[in-house]
Amino acid sequence: MHKTPQVNEVNEFIEIASDFEDPLEVIREALSNSYDANATLVDINIAQDDEGQNTLIITDDGFGMDEDDLSSFFDLGNSNKHDAIGYKGHGTKIYYKSDKICVETVKDGTRIESVMDHPWTKLNNRKLPRYSIDETDTDEPSQTRIEVHGFQAGQGFDPQQLTYNKIEHYIKWKTIGGSTAWFFDDDFHEMDINIELSSTIVDTRDSVETDNRLKFPAENLDPDGEFVAEGMCKHYPPQELSVVLDDGRELSIEVVGMVGGKEARNKMQTYGKHSAQFGIWLAKDHIKVERYNDAIGADNEFFHFFFIANCQDLELSANREKIRNKSGDVYQAITDELDRYMTKVCQESWYRDYIERRKLEDKKRSVRSQENSLEERLARTQELGGLSPSNPAEVIAALERYSANGSPETVEIADFRIDEEVNAIVDTDEGYKNAALQVKLSDFFETETPLTNIDRFVCWKLGDRDALTRIERSSYLGEPIRFDFQNNVIQYGKGDPKTIPVLELDGKIM
Amino acid sequence: MVTDRMVSFDIIAEAGEARHGQLQINGRTLETPHLFPVVNFYGGGNEGALFGGGVHRTIKEFLAHDNEITAGEDYSDLFRGVMTSIASLTDYGIREKKLDWYLGKEIREWECFNSFDGMIFADSGGYKILSNGGGLEGADFEKDVDQDQALDMQLALGPDIVVNLDHPIHPDDEFEERVEKMKKTAANAARLAERREDVNGACYLTVHGYYEEMLERSFNLIEDELEEPIPEAFDGIALGSLVPRKDNVEVLVEAVSDCKLEMQQRGYEDLPLHVFGIAGNAMPLLVAVGADSFDSASYLHQAINGKYCVNLFETVSLDEADFDACDCRVCNDDFHVARMRNEMDNLYQKDILGSLAAHNLAIQQQELRKFRQLLTEGDQQLVADHLEEAVKDQKGFRKFVYQLINERINPYFEETDTTYA
Repeated sequence: MHKTPQVNEVNEFIEIASDFEDPLEVIREALSNSYDANATLVDINIAQDDEGQNTLIITDDGFGMDEDDLSSFFDLGNSNKHDAIGYKGHGTKIYYKSDKICVETVKDGTRIESVMDHPWTKLNNRKLPRYSIDETDTDEPSQTRIEVHGFQAGQGFDPQQLTYNKIEHYIKWKTIGGSTAWFFDDDFHEMDINIELSSTIVDTRDSVETDNRLKFPAENLDPDGEFVAEGMCKHYPPQELSVVLDDGRELSIEVVGMVGGKEARNKMQTYGKHSAQFGIWLAKDHIKVERYNDAIGADNEFFHFFFIANCQDLELSANREKIRNKSGDVYQAITDELDRYMTKVCQESWYRDYIERRKLEDKKRSVRSQENSLEERLARTQELGGLSPSNPAEVIAALERYSANGSPETVEIADFRIDEEVNAIVDTDEGYKNAALQVKLSDFFETETPLTNIDRFVCWKLGDRDALTRIERSSYLGEPIRFDFQNNVIQYGKGDPKTIPVLELDGKIM
Repeated sequence: MVTDRMVSFDIIAEAGEARHGQLQINGRTLETPHLFPVVNFYGGGNEGALFGGGVHRTIKEFLAHDNEITAGEDYSDLFRGVMTSIASLTDYGIREKKLDWYLGKEIREWECFNSFDGMIFADSGGYKILSNGGGLEGADFEKDVDQDQALDMQLALGPDIVVNLDHPIHPDDEFEERVEKMKKTAANAARLAERREDVNGACYLTVHGYYEEMLERSFNLIEDELEEPIPEAFDGIALGSLVPRKDNVEVLVEAVSDCKLEMQQRGYEDLPLHVFGIAGNAMPLLVAVGADSFDSASYLHQAINGKYCVNLFETVSLDEADFDACDCRVCNDDFHVARMRNEMDNLYQKDILGSLAAHNLAIQQQELRKFRQLLTEGDQQLVADHLEEAVKDQKGFRKFVYQLINERINPYFEETDTTYA
């Protein structure tokens, strides 16, 4: 006995339509369909009524649809488009997430009007929705108009979320509107894109008008000026890389790109963080899909780069958000070749100069901030009337000054190791002595350092006298301690206590 | 002794800084760029055992055209020029009597080596002698070695090329220490120049430094010591002290390139430039910036560590070697493949590793041969293409090659009038 596997058609429709998570993907699919239909102009109008119901109207002057094309439009996985963006027959299924789809299309003197009611409700009630077809003769030029009513946009078309900037960025980064095909001699044709949002969504401007060319900011190779690296920009001309796989198949990778500073990159349609947008993009149909920033290696920061590497041998997920054949030899060969190409970019003289210039400018900025900080320090020093140690090096300077200006005793630094508990050896009238040199004496006791090997204390100030008294009233490391600042000594230990002289420098130097 | 030496270095073809030359010394000719494999002629043994030395002995069997090993095959192309150091004479803890016996005849005067007609570059062994406190140490003797003694020992080997006893510098040297070493090297160079007539062959001058300013000092100190211009006293320049930086390709390229620049500025660019102690993957890059010859024992060291060279950039463990995929003559000889596979009876480790070392050497020599052929075309782009193809899959290494090609041969991204804004 043989059985044929069955497909649950309703589930498949729901599955594919649900794959499209971002409602803006409706714009990407509409633009792709219009481009595949050879349109030179596409208008997308998105409106929202007072109750939050969305209506999308997509109009283009492409070559329209006949009945077969319309079947492909509504069918799942039944595209009659070969070698086109929408070859899978998945994209238009995003429209099913709506209350009504109306299609009016003219092709070769025939006008078709088609309506599908409540597609999403029906699918969720486990029924396949149906669509009507009415054909009439016409002398109108070929065109298509698609209306999608009650589009389930989630938060996507929320007036709080959607802005023209966001749409423009989406078009240039995620759709055929940001195509790099025009750099190459592919079957590129120009398409003007006009997107209008109803004033209930956003009323900051009338519409987005653009085309399907990704353009880089103007080159700025060697600007004059002190802080100009952020404005530097270089274009890397379109180049076709080819790779031959072990089985003899030849892959072609079309790469074009730029390197630029933040200011230059900001001239593009960006919003948000550059680290989330720039880098090395892998693309199919010249539409960016995923980034592969490993191509530039760990020595470089990817956000300086904006490169698009298109390869038609990449396979994409249904919603075009991911590359599917990553574990195969094709992907490996593409990324290997891209690694080589990007290594050349990174070793190129201009890029190295650009990075060097950035580094120098950063240094200059740091010198400027250093100058500001020095001014502040100077003001503080003037206010304090000269040396006021805040670190051991300054205490040493104070000690030297103390010794050089007729001090009653000789205390000179013979050895100093900043990280050691007994950090100094001082040369005194009684010979070399182990010493703890502190800005504030009280800081020494906070760290509970043993006094066993300490012969002298040298400090700028005694510090927190209350804290020292508190220690005196309890004990220090289990032994009694007395701070006798009248006589400048510390008495430590039971019975015959150890006497440690303390030299406080504050007030003793000229 | 007044000699009747004949030394010449002719440049046959150039491609950018890279050049294909012909070094002729007393009737022997060497095509450059060339790799002098390091060979220990004396390894503690007697003449019947080719003076021993374990794996070194097996190498000498290839070199001396021992029929049992070479089965009539001529492997002399691997050894057209070899490097041997006087410092290696005491590697095996020999007695003084034996040392005197070894030095009693020139290498080619021994019957076992009289068919060997490769060029012999006798190194003064500066690094080893210096680290030994300025001498050589055997089982029953210690011997101070100064420039005169070093030269006497070199001459006793019957060399085609000798070099002054040098005091190699180290990257960690303090400035004063480095200058002191350079001064001592310069004094030795001057002494070698004084004894120039004792040498029936070529005299090379050692210089040291990692970048232009250091090399400039090294050359200046030598010029100050010499009574005649460098090209009148010496037939070649040998750049030393690079071994501690052998894994830093950028440093190697800069050192060789800057040495070349110094030579050009001083008018010695027609002298051959030898690079001491470096071979392997850096070699093609150093050829591209003007090096003419190299010496290295890396082919032996790799073998001793059980490493089989797949090409200049990759090694695999001997167990994983695919001999069928290699077109070198050693791997096309069933006898040597059987030895490397350890499939023969009564094999010593030296036999297995000796064949492996010969293969590793063949790979390095093959690469330089390809380079010489490319250079003959005189087309820099061919050199660039070859280099680029060679490092295609060497992820960490290729950036150095791309940088070199981009900066010195052909920029990858020329300025264009077209912008894409």
